[in-house]
Amino acid sequence: MTFDDLKSGDTIDGPSFAVSRESIRLFCDASLDYNPLHLDDDYMKGSFGKTQFGGIIMHGMNNFGLISRMITDWAHPAGAIHCRLETRWVKPVKPGDTITPAGVITSKQATAKSRWVLIDVLVRNQQDEKVATGEAMVEFPRDAFCA
Amino acid sequence: MPPQAFETDFWKDANLRKSWDEIIPGEPRQTLPYVLTREAIALYCKSVGETNPIYVDEAFAKTTRYGGLIAPPSIHILLMFACTPADDWMRSPGTVNAGQSWSYHLPARPNDIIRLEARALDKFIKRERLFVVHDNVFFNQHSEVICSGRGWTIRPM
Repeated sequence: MTFDDLKSGDTIDGPSFAVSRESIRLFCDASLDYNPLHLDDDYMKGSFGKTQFGGIIMHGMNNFGLISRMITDWAHPAGAIHCRLETRWVKPVKPGDTITPAGVITSKQATAKSRWVLIDVLVRNQQDEKVATGEAMVEFPRDAFCA
Repeated sequence: MPPQAFETDFWKDANLRKSWDEIIPGEPRQTLPYVLTREAIALYCKSVGETNPIYVDEAFAKTTRYGGLIAPPSIHILLMFACTPADDWMRSPGTVNAGQSWSYHLPARPNDIIRLEARALDKFIKRERLFVVHDNVFFNQHSEVICSGRGWTIRPM
């Protein structure tokens, strides 16, 4: 894969990720984010303004980490660099869900010193519902160094 | 497992943390330096299923453009909590993350001493929800920027 090969509409498939109480607890330990949103079912039976979750939810940033993994796994073999990621959470993810990130190239841009690929990203659950959306930017340096 | 001194009970210091009303946009947050270890990187990789050997296999990593082990770009997820004290308002129980954007400059590496400069940038009310925007820059021990980012959180009522 090279910068010149890529075109708008090209897709990137990410890895499926099975969400469980154990995976959420592991993410607590790895991120040091022990917010009771992710640990305490009794607390999550309460009301959060207009929102009721009904039980613990996965960290939104677990989506972020999964998208970032997809982007780096796609970029690194081509000597490209994951430079930016912006995400928004649109639906909570709960234990028992399976989530899968994906990307679609929207444009390419050359600047004075480098070359860039813009990618729309999203994460879907097992019911094909969007749980996260966003945009990523990947640099394809002119001196591409492929490991 | 978390570092020994890290308080995992986020209720414990809840009364010390600033509420939405008390957060002042522009005011720096208190931060702490943090030494990023290979073990912390490996645990983070495990939590999101990272299998790229550049994060864990030193011999392989030496053959890459980075010349050695690096952390995944999204390691800032860990650094946000590792570099802030127990009374930081990001730990207030019920804080809901609405979205984040991050730009990456240099990779973090094992044994880097990470420093964070952070502040609330803005706060507002939308659809009866209390929002705070936070912005953050992580530096290594050479004062080089690792990454910078901004996040939107919904504060507990």
